[in-house]
Amino acid sequence: MNELIPLMVIVPLMAALLISAFSKFNRITKIFAFVVALCLPLIPILSNYGLHYFGGYEPMLDNVTGVMFHPAITYSFTFLQQVFIGAVGLLTFLVIFIYLTKYKEVSGPYLFLLFLGTAAVTAMILTDDIFHMFVFFEILALAQVGIVAASSIDYSYEMALKYMILGSIGSPMMLLGIGFLLALTGSVNITDIASAVHMGLIDATSPVFLLSLALIFFGWLYASGLPPFHTIKSGIYSKAEPHGAALLQSFTVMAMISIVLIMFRIYSSLPIFEVLIVFFSILAMILGVSLALTQTDFRRMIGFLAVGELGFIGLGIGLGTNFSLTAGLFQALNEILITALLFIGFGAIVNATNEVDTRKLGGLLAYHPKVSIMLLIGGLAMAGVPPLNGFQSKLMLVQASLSCGFPELSILAIMVSIATFVVFVKTYYTIFLKPKPNDLELENRDVPRSMVLVMGILLIIIVILGIFPDMVTNGISSFVGGIL
Amino acid sequence: MAQTQLAILLTSAALVIIGLYAAIFIDNIIKKIIGISFIEEGVNLFIVAIGYKAGGVVPILMPGMDTSWFASNAAYPLPFGLVLTSIVIGASTLAVMLALVMVLYKRYGTLSTKVMLADTSKQEEYDE
Repeated sequence: MNELIPLMVIVPLMAALLISAFSKFNRITKIFAFVVALCLPLIPILSNYGLHYFGGYEPMLDNVTGVMFHPAITYSFTFLQQVFIGAVGLLTFLVIFIYLTKYKEVSGPYLFLLFLGTAAVTAMILTDDIFHMFVFFEILALAQVGIVAASSIDYSYEMALKYMILGSIGSPMMLLGIGFLLALTGSVNITDIASAVHMGLIDATSPVFLLSLALIFFGWLYASGLPPFHTIKSGIYSKAEPHGAALLQSFTVMAMISIVLIMFRIYSSLPIFEVLIVFFSILAMILGVSLALTQTDFRRMIGFLAVGELGFIGLGIGLGTNFSLTAGLFQALNEILITALLFIGFGAIVNATNEVDTRKLGGLLAYHPKVSIMLLIGGLAMAGVPPLNGFQSKLMLVQASLSCGFPELSILAIMVSIATFVVFVKTYYTIFLKPKPNDLELENRDVPRSMVLVMGILLIIIVILGIFPDMVTNGISSFVGGIL
Repeated sequence: MAQTQLAILLTSAALVIIGLYAAIFIDNIIKKIIGISFIEEGVNLFIVAIGYKAGGVVPILMPGMDTSWFASNAAYPLPFGLVLTSIVIGASTLAVMLALVMVLYKRYGTLSTKVMLADTSKQEEYDE
């Protein structure tokens, strides 16, 4: 059923608009949001792989050049899109489930932003049109800012405005880069642009082409939260509600892989492209884990660890082989699941203690054993401890670095994994194992059951992917073979 | 390259450079946002310039026009469509930014970014 492909974007987009318009009917809004959110992971499972041409405009032959071109926006749906849209759809459902069960009166605008963000990242990964990607990239930035500003955490408005100002510089730069590509090729279709580059119709060493790479790359750094945007990215995670932060990080990962795959298709012939990606990824890995080590706010600590994990994804993609790309994309999927588990788990701790400073916490293992055990397993998965999914993807990345002839990169990846383990164990000890401070009130506070249930679901998926990684790696490898 | 197109490209470059200067170096948040609008409009102008055709006609096929003449003389319409979308996005972004500034102005009573957007972690330490 190829007709379902555009519905993956249309359903959350329409739901966002309808919920926003009819949010005063609280009960109906809750039921409608739940039903639509439930559909989000189901649509990609039911849909067939293939292409969807908007307006029915199929590729046409240019009579002058004899080259096929795409006259309209095209959506491409393969195994990769299925897995990632399914994962984000499931996470959106789980986050909305937590939100609906936590509050009696729900906010229509907040649900609007959650659905809008999901629609934006879905469109970004589906589209074969670079301008279409840019439009949803901007919509995503607005949704992210809204999710942060809507939280009740102190200084969320300040952080939202900071993120928006940086984005308002990063986005026009990306648009300028797209403009240069349009000037060179006369098209915004990624397949057409990539064909023009690989067929030698445009000079890949021309300054305009290189400038377009630099500008789009700058926009990608902003979207991914890689250095120099790592601080602001971890900042917005820490200023969002925990379930919102879980979804925000999945949006970041989706935006990162969507844009980098587009860049890979267009610029992979330039050796500088892969060098740039590896350089910024290494920087993200080192800075992310180093800054995480110095944090006393555990939300910020998870934010920095998430940035460090993004570096692993970039490393896999930057190495540019089939195996490394598969490892990088598998790491992206694992990052979405593991970081979501950690954000929700630590959100449960905030709920139970109303405290985010690790120095003021302690002894929570006796009070919240389920949450602590699940958080421990999630942290071990992030650090790459077997047999969890993080181990499988990081092992693949180390093997990929070695097979590409860069043993130093594999050593660095192992060292960053060890540092991640140290950061997590240190935080875990101070929150759960250290004796409880006398002034910490815990008696009448409980963790919402919905949060524990969601953590359990994510944990099951993490363990299954750790034991059976072939379930996704084979399909991702086939996709990568297609773009190489 | 036609002189008109060159003039448009230079104008767009000037807009982007002035906008970047304002967005990075000016402290007043409203002036910063004006700078950001300059960058956006500069980029939009650049994309419009891509579609410019010296001596060309508006890309609307009117009744009675010869299609081959139209194809060789009409300006390239795709950039204009893209710019329209980009303007709408820019307006939305601007509205959200100004809304956030309004809230923060009420809280701090100043438009200085040094006060308003000081490092939030330092703000928290200061509060304690």
